[in-house]
Amino acid sequence: MNGPLIVQSDKTLLLEVDHEQAADCRRAIAPFAELERAPEHIHTYRLTPLGLWNARAAGHDAEQVVDALLTYSRYPVPQALLVDVADTMSRYGRLTLSKHPAHGLVLTSTDRPVLEEILRSKKIKPLVGPRVDPDTVAVHPSERGQIKQTLLKLGWPAQDLAGYVDGEAHPIELREDGWQLRPYQQQAVEGFWHGGSGVVVLPCGAGKTLVGAGAMATAKATTLILVTNTVSARQWKSELIRRTSLTEEEIGEYSGARKEIRPVTIATYQVLTTRRKGVYPHLELFDSRDWGLVVYDEVHLLPAPVFKFTADLQARRRLGLTATLVREDGRESDVFSLIGPKRFDAPWKEIEAQGYIAPADCVEVRVDLTDGERLAYATAESDEKYRFCATTDSKRRVTERLVRRHAGEQTLVIGQYIDQLDELGELLDAPVIKGETSNAQREKLFDAFRSGELSVLVVSKVANFSVDLPEATVAIQVSGTFGSRQEEAQRLGRVLRPKADGHEARFYSVVARDTVDQDFAAHRQRFLAEQGYAYRIVDASDLEEAPEPDAEG
Amino acid sequence: MSQVTSGSNPRTLADELRSRADSDLAGLLLARPDLLSPLPGDLSQLATRAGTRASVQRALDRLDTFGLQTAEALALAGPPCSQDDLAVLLRDGEHRLSEALATLRSRALLWGPPTAMRLVRTAQELLAPTPQRPGPTGLGPTLGETVTALSPRRAQELLAANGLRATADPVGAARALAELFSDTDRLSSLLAEAPDHSHEVLRRLMWGPPQGEVSARPATHLRWLLDHALLVPTAPGTVVLPREVALALRGGRSHRDLRPDPPELTVHTHHRPERTDVVAAGQAHRALSLTESLLDLWEREPPAVLRTGGLGVRELKRVAVALDIPEPEAAFWSDLAYAAGLVASDGGTDERYAPTPASDEWLRLTSPERWTRLAGTWLGTTRCAALVGERVPQQGAARGRTADRSLAALGPGLDRGPAPELRLRLLTLLASVEPGAAPEQSAVRERMRWQAPRRMPDTLRELLCSAAFTEAEHLGVTAHGAISGFARPLLTSAHARAAEPDHEAVALLTGRASAATPEAGARPAAPDAGDATEAVAPTVADAGAGSVVLDTTGPELPGTGGPRDTGYVRDDGGAPAEGATVPAGASPAALAEVDPEAAAVSAAELLTPLLPEPLDHFLLQADMTAVAPGPLVRGLARALNDAADVESTGGATVYRFSPASVRRALDAGRTAAELHAFLAEYSRTPVPQPLSYLVDDVARRHGRLRAGTAAGYVTCEDEATLDQVMADRRLAPLRLRRIAPTVLVGPAGGDLLLAALKEHGYAPSAESTDGAAALGAGTPPRRTPPRTAPEPQPDGPPGTDAALLRAAVRAIRSGDHAAGAAPNAGGRPPSDPPSGLPRTEPAETLRLLRAAAGAGSLVWIGYVGADGVATQRVLAPVRVEGGFVTAFDHTAEEVRTYPLHRITGAAPASA
Repeated sequence: MNGPLIVQSDKTLLLEVDHEQAADCRRAIAPFAELERAPEHIHTYRLTPLGLWNARAAGHDAEQVVDALLTYSRYPVPQALLVDVADTMSRYGRLTLSKHPAHGLVLTSTDRPVLEEILRSKKIKPLVGPRVDPDTVAVHPSERGQIKQTLLKLGWPAQDLAGYVDGEAHPIELREDGWQLRPYQQQAVEGFWHGGSGVVVLPCGAGKTLVGAGAMATAKATTLILVTNTVSARQWKSELIRRTSLTEEEIGEYSGARKEIRPVTIATYQVLTTRRKGVYPHLELFDSRDWGLVVYDEVHLLPAPVFKFTADLQARRRLGLTATLVREDGRESDVFSLIGPKRFDAPWKEIEAQGYIAPADCVEVRVDLTDGERLAYATAESDEKYRFCATTDSKRRVTERLVRRHAGEQTLVIGQYIDQLDELGELLDAPVIKGETSNAQREKLFDAFRSGELSVLVVSKVANFSVDLPEATVAIQVSGTFGSRQEEAQRLGRVLRPKADGHEARFYSVVARDTVDQDFAAHRQRFLAEQGYAYRIVDASDLEEAPEPDAEG
Repeated sequence: MSQVTSGSNPRTLADELRSRADSDLAGLLLARPDLLSPLPGDLSQLATRAGTRASVQRALDRLDTFGLQTAEALALAGPPCSQDDLAVLLRDGEHRLSEALATLRSRALLWGPPTAMRLVRTAQELLAPTPQRPGPTGLGPTLGETVTALSPRRAQELLAANGLRATADPVGAARALAELFSDTDRLSSLLAEAPDHSHEVLRRLMWGPPQGEVSARPATHLRWLLDHALLVPTAPGTVVLPREVALALRGGRSHRDLRPDPPELTVHTHHRPERTDVVAAGQAHRALSLTESLLDLWEREPPAVLRTGGLGVRELKRVAVALDIPEPEAAFWSDLAYAAGLVASDGGTDERYAPTPASDEWLRLTSPERWTRLAGTWLGTTRCAALVGERVPQQGAARGRTADRSLAALGPGLDRGPAPELRLRLLTLLASVEPGAAPEQSAVRERMRWQAPRRMPDTLRELLCSAAFTEAEHLGVTAHGAISGFARPLLTSAHARAAEPDHEAVALLTGRASAATPEAGARPAAPDAGDATEAVAPTVADAGAGSVVLDTTGPELPGTGGPRDTGYVRDDGGAPAEGATVPAGASPAALAEVDPEAAAVSAAELLTPLLPEPLDHFLLQADMTAVAPGPLVRGLARALNDAADVESTGGATVYRFSPASVRRALDAGRTAAELHAFLAEYSRTPVPQPLSYLVDDVARRHGRLRAGTAAGYVTCEDEATLDQVMADRRLAPLRLRRIAPTVLVGPAGGDLLLAALKEHGYAPSAESTDGAAALGAGTPPRRTPPRTAPEPQPDGPPGTDAALLRAAVRAIRSGDHAAGAAPNAGGRPPSDPPSGLPRTEPAETLRLLRAAAGAGSLVWIGYVGADGVATQRVLAPVRVEGGFVTAFDHTAEEVRTYPLHRITGAAPASA
């Protein structure tokens, strides 16, 4: 009666982190419960049907789950919840998808009424073929993903025993000269490989690319890598050349600029979703080779057409990589059902504790608007309000002060509004990277920044993701995409690469007080706060007098 | 044991009661408390009262199955009956017979020595089979009763057919026949001669119902039975199997399905008692938090009381959604809170349910005490939330309307008298098996039925049983069907509180076999499984299934109502009855040692270690949440509830702070400093900086704009003048308040302020609503808002028109003529009026009048006045319309209006 776990009636599990059994308990519940929040003292896990089914798929049964709950629970576990867990888990596996020698892909049921029930569903009808026998029905091979997704929605998840195609073999080795996969990267690769397909969630800067490389080295097959933009594609390419036995010739880039298809091809989401005359001409890329592995970088950004096409790729191994599986469109479950369940997840703070990402000090700087600005804000049209308060002069002055304060450190100034950025760039005498900046120019500037030639860079949201700037230690966010949680996390991620000198990273978010900016900021910070990043709030007026933050310890 | 002193046989029940020990009498009064009020004057009165129909019914209803069967057998045998005779009727029940007889005796249903026992006459009448009502034994009338109804000749024929000598009268014939049938050997030899199908017929009637139907021309085998008096016709087309024959065929048994032993309680599963208690405690905790949430909900949003009383379906749904439970459960918790007096109607004009002051007291109790209160209420209430939603005929509906309404939670019509007794019995049964064992629900139901078959109809018993099982689980009185350790003392206390306590149960629950109940331990083993399953066949209802159609050619008729119609239910307060297993004269000793309060306390004590301890702290986290890792002390929970929103509940509670929630706390009167202190004091973890900022931020903006009511204001650029005004005592009644250095406001209007200031020597000037036209112009001339002039409301005649004027002039002229002043003029009225009244058709009259009006000429008319007198008049008509003619009356010399219908006729008057 004194366990670390408290089971709530809304199916959340609260884990007291400082409890002596906390680690054991975490290990026991991790297979079936999703870590939802990981602040300082109490971590919140959630029991979802999906999580329970994934646990079933991974070989855990309801008894184990119930036992784990009862063993570690501090208080009596609501009976209804236990019954519900058992019920939910028993729904998995009554339907199986498998290969039939004569009929190809078939859906088989051990429970005939269930089969009858789902076959009566309008959504299932177009996906299945003729009835083979009373317990078996043929499924169109191309609908494998679709039917799995639909069955999941109907509450009768199918166990997919149809396996994966190996794809075209291609030798890939990791070249571990002087470096090694970190333990958690290794675990992530193994977790993914055993599960067949799935999503690996790692904090920004924790080396997701290497997890991808590790997976490729395990698969030893031709690989299609989907990334967000061209810069990111180039980074992937150079990283792969550096870390694996792959050579420049083996890696193709499939982007707006180039259309190479090689054993390892890196394509951008943008080119895949280019639409001409109502069709997506580049989606053929998926079929252009017998891919053995498809890697989705920044899977939380996966665009809808790719989703749809991924449904047809169920026979190929799929690896999703992300730092923040928070989609503002709420399609997290589609990611899980189409790419695969979460195979590995590590709380940010845990990786930080292991020293693989830099510790970060997150500061929200509250700027008081001048009376004039307040009046203008109060009278602004409601759809202009955010833009107005996010780009005020007061903010610009504070940003300038912050940059000055960290003079000599590699500083990124990140913002949403181009004119604001241009202005800042002029003021700070720093180059601005925005959407219209050419890729060549971008790379040139990034290189200069990496080498230290440039110490301040002003970037728009193009640098939100996948831009590897290891030496950036200070990020100043002046405006953002409203309340986007994952954007905030990604931006923090820009400064989380471990520093050569173990230096602490600093993330400033400049916020106008008493405006919608402040409300959005609160929402944006939720993800990170739930990951245990405690924001400090500093008044802009205090910045002058306050001692150098480093001195604070 | 009440034993009749040998040698002195009592002559009446009163006689016997007189000879009984005082403790026996006490036992009687305890078992039949209805005899106590009013208190009988003496034993004869007691005996008389004990023999009244209502009281006997009540006593019979509280007998267990075997007690009832014994009484039925006694009624069958008729008084007096010896125990040996009874033993034959109740074969296989001998081992329990003396116990059953003792019970009947202790309840004053039976008296007399064992050799000549007599049922109280009313009981005899109620239970003995009659031709109309075969009763649960399924036996028909005796031969005597049937044969005497036949013609003497027929009786003699029957005797002859059976090879008996003729007798003098039918009574003798019946006796002779009865003698024959009672002799097993002679009967079997007689039956050996019977035609093929007759055995089949007898078998069908043997166990009842004894009536059968035959067609006018019975088949051979039936005719044979009729001829040998084995079947006797009672009415055309109906035959009956005489009691003697049936008994002989049954081998002397009164009941087909004698059930001397209670059905066995088969145990379904065993759990570790500790596990049971833990799970039950979890439910108990849930029960408390649900009830508290309900109170919180209704405190904020009190639901309306239906016009017919109770909680509307929509409100119930709202509760279900708010508490996240199914509706029937929501009905249960709300009704329980109502029964416990925690919520009630506020009695206002717009009647609503709201928490009562008693609920505040309840909330102040510790969790275990709160639970005991709830569970105790549940055990004792006659309200039955499981009935919510059932449709019943509308009471007081307009005549001729058959509208029905559904029973509402908290509403009327939910009380079921036997409910508490049933719950207690059920739980007592659950408590009778070893801790942690869960008896089979069906077995428990069967046992309940056996214990008091006549107490209530089976449907009600089933409903109440199911409800009791579910509700006990909800409350944590049971878990997985096994009674929880901490609920046991409650049962004891409930028994002790009950009007008719069950000593055996008390003894069982207190773990102490009372000296007065030696049989409790020595009870024979329950029958084996085979018996138990067969025993499911109902004994009472089946026997009343009506007659069996014997003749295949006859029409199949549905069964006629049997004893089912006698109505076994009387909701007479619902005091628990004693099971028949309680031996006679059980002394209330075991009971006296049970203090209900103490039992409740010990329940609470047992529960205490199992319920999560209320905490006095919570944990604050940087993501703006607070986690209370367990139930919070009440006051703390309230305070935290004010300042943060609940995000998830259960063992722990997760709260989230938001600007809105902090604002709520500030609105509730807290200051930022108090909030900071509160968080710092009760949080186990340091208060995160963003949270402090949130509080400060919200507090900074909170109340920055302030609004209030004032009727007038005084403003002045010169603060000194306002100082002077404020200091002026004479202006104190204006209650001016300074809200800014240059502004005073007050509840008095502008006019009053102006007047008062002027009066006391200030020189104020008025300010217009736009504030601009301040000084100067003085008071503008007073104007009303735009108004329309009032409509004229004339009471005189309307204005004239030219025609009328003309007519008037003409009339005046005519008047002149009439006066004879100017005899020359042509306008003179005819001097010779027509003889008699002019009489014309109305149409003609109208035509003449119109023509005269058009031409301006004169007419004679005949007019009947209001007094009925007809007169002749000379008119100069002006206008004829709407049934009236307006004219200058030359006769009266003024303008008059006459109704046309009074005019008899008209004739032109030649001038």
